[in-house]
Amino acid sequence: MSGVGPVEPGEGTRAWDAPEPGAPLLAAPRRGRLARLYARRRRSVLVTAIAAVLLAGGGYLYATRPQEPPPAAAVYPSLVVDVGYLGEEPLPAGASRGAFSFAVKVTTHSGPPVTVLRVTQPYSGISLSSAPRLPVRTAAGSSHKIVITMHVTECANVPQNAGLPFLDVTLRNTRAMQVHSFILGERYAHDLSEALRTYCGSEAASGV
Amino acid sequence: MPGKGLLIVRQRSLIAITAALAAGALTLTACGSRDDDSGSDSGGGTTVVIGVDAPLTGDLSALGLGIKNSADLAVKTANKDKVVDGITFKIEALDDQAQPSAGQQNATSFVANKDVLGVVGPLNSSVAESMQKVFDDAKLVEVSPANTGPALSQGADWQTNKVRTYKSYFRTATTDAIQGPFAAQYVFNDAKKKNVFVIDDKKTYGAGLAGTFTDEFKKLGGKVVGTEHIDPDTKDFSAVATKVKNSGADAVYYGGEYPQAGPLAKQIKDAGAKITFAGGDAIYSPEYIKLAGSGSKGDISTSVGAPIEELASAKEFIANYEAEGYKEAYEAYGGYAYDSVWAIIEAVKKVVEDNDGELPSDARAKVTEAVQNVSFDGVTGKVSFDEYGDTTNKQLTVYSVENGVWTPVKSGTYTG
Repeated sequence: MSGVGPVEPGEGTRAWDAPEPGAPLLAAPRRGRLARLYARRRRSVLVTAIAAVLLAGGGYLYATRPQEPPPAAAVYPSLVVDVGYLGEEPLPAGASRGAFSFAVKVTTHSGPPVTVLRVTQPYSGISLSSAPRLPVRTAAGSSHKIVITMHVTECANVPQNAGLPFLDVTLRNTRAMQVHSFILGERYAHDLSEALRTYCGSEAASGV
Repeated sequence: MPGKGLLIVRQRSLIAITAALAAGALTLTACGSRDDDSGSDSGGGTTVVIGVDAPLTGDLSALGLGIKNSADLAVKTANKDKVVDGITFKIEALDDQAQPSAGQQNATSFVANKDVLGVVGPLNSSVAESMQKVFDDAKLVEVSPANTGPALSQGADWQTNKVRTYKSYFRTATTDAIQGPFAAQYVFNDAKKKNVFVIDDKKTYGAGLAGTFTDEFKKLGGKVVGTEHIDPDTKDFSAVATKVKNSGADAVYYGGEYPQAGPLAKQIKDAGAKITFAGGDAIYSPEYIKLAGSGSKGDISTSVGAPIEELASAKEFIANYEAEGYKEAYEAYGGYAYDSVWAIIEAVKKVVEDNDGELPSDARAKVTEAVQNVSFDGVTGKVSFDEYGDTTNKQLTVYSVENGVWTPVKSGTYTG
């Protein structure tokens, strides 16, 4: 037989798995106040613990329940509004010489209503009025016709041949207020240039 | 025995609590998994390749890589959402280095690959000119996210007689027929600059844009106090800078791209000229501001569309682009590249649905026809094309350099 057996405990040593002489077989744990209380209220504590777990689970389920996504924020008004040129209009009563009237159609395609607060044009030699008076509110899917009358105040500061003239329109919806340029196209450019040339040309000829 | 009794009590309560917790955990696990949707990048058995042509190296690569990444994102999204049953989309990106000859070679390469059913690109109008006929002969649709030269869609005589030359050519960017005049109106009326020095790089895009700007600026009553052409292969613009300084100009309008525009603006200002530097969409890049330096404050650019950050439709694109972790920014044309790819995907979808779920033998011709009629809400707004293949979304924005970044100052829409 060969091999080395387990080392026997020698003098001054002891096997740790052997009980000390005189030691109690199993030390009874000392019962604290909480343990004593728990022993008395065991049923209540268990019911409370289970209820707490179920409540927490229910709360989690409620918090993570499938929900409809929140409604999308309204888009900027310039992205849902069209301003299109309709054509020349008769001058309003009392309009000054050199005035030019035309109509635009303002259409809101979607989203919350859009209010047209102001319409301006970029040339310093022209002033502008509109009918109906602004502001005008346009709901989604609807249009408003606005008649704009331009009054030439100073021919020297009027471009008589602009290729792509535009109107600056101030728009507001629940998302934002924006000033947006609407380039009304070649027909508007033609009509505007013709009106300005007719008036400012005759002014120049008359030496005013 | 009190000790033993306590152990039993402990064990029973431990079991009860464990059971309750386990029940709760199982409930929560079930709850957590009910919406679990394992997306797949695979859409089905047939692979459709969408070519991407852009400058992926060189001076203009910032814009080109933004186009490529955005195209990649569109394809990944379409595959994940299985937008077309039985079809997996894939992009193949080729580098044109902003050179017409390289673009033409790439066009030939795309045509030779029978799996390619559409191409997105290029960036440069001059490159597009070299590719259009190659694609048109093969009935292979091309959708550019960035070309603004009007002649590409409306023919050489677009100012007097619009004629569409290539039925296979489309674009999601609006044209310089609007961009140049819109810039002129802003420079003259809003920035109050009356004397402008006009410079271009002699390329299709640059010369065309400078021309449409000049026409309108003169009509408004502005004065063009000088004109120059630069060589885009050089970065020494000192002679031009001196001419600008001596001209008395209060603004420079440049038709060209940011790699030249940045150093040109810097050298003009360093020469002592008190000018505002203005240009088109090809200088609307953070790279311009880096190259032009601190003197770029107040400089002006126009670019196609509304500011993408203002578009509700772009929020998801921006979030997904960031989530994909692309190294390069989507830049000026990312949203337009995404929409260009999506137009082709929508067209493929229509063609497949009309052919009992399969691609027809003349798929390229059918896809080209279908692109003409697509209409969807894209990243940049409503996407559809007019009779020339131009986008129906004709919006533009003017930006100014404020605090080192391009900041939108005015937007306009062509509604004529």
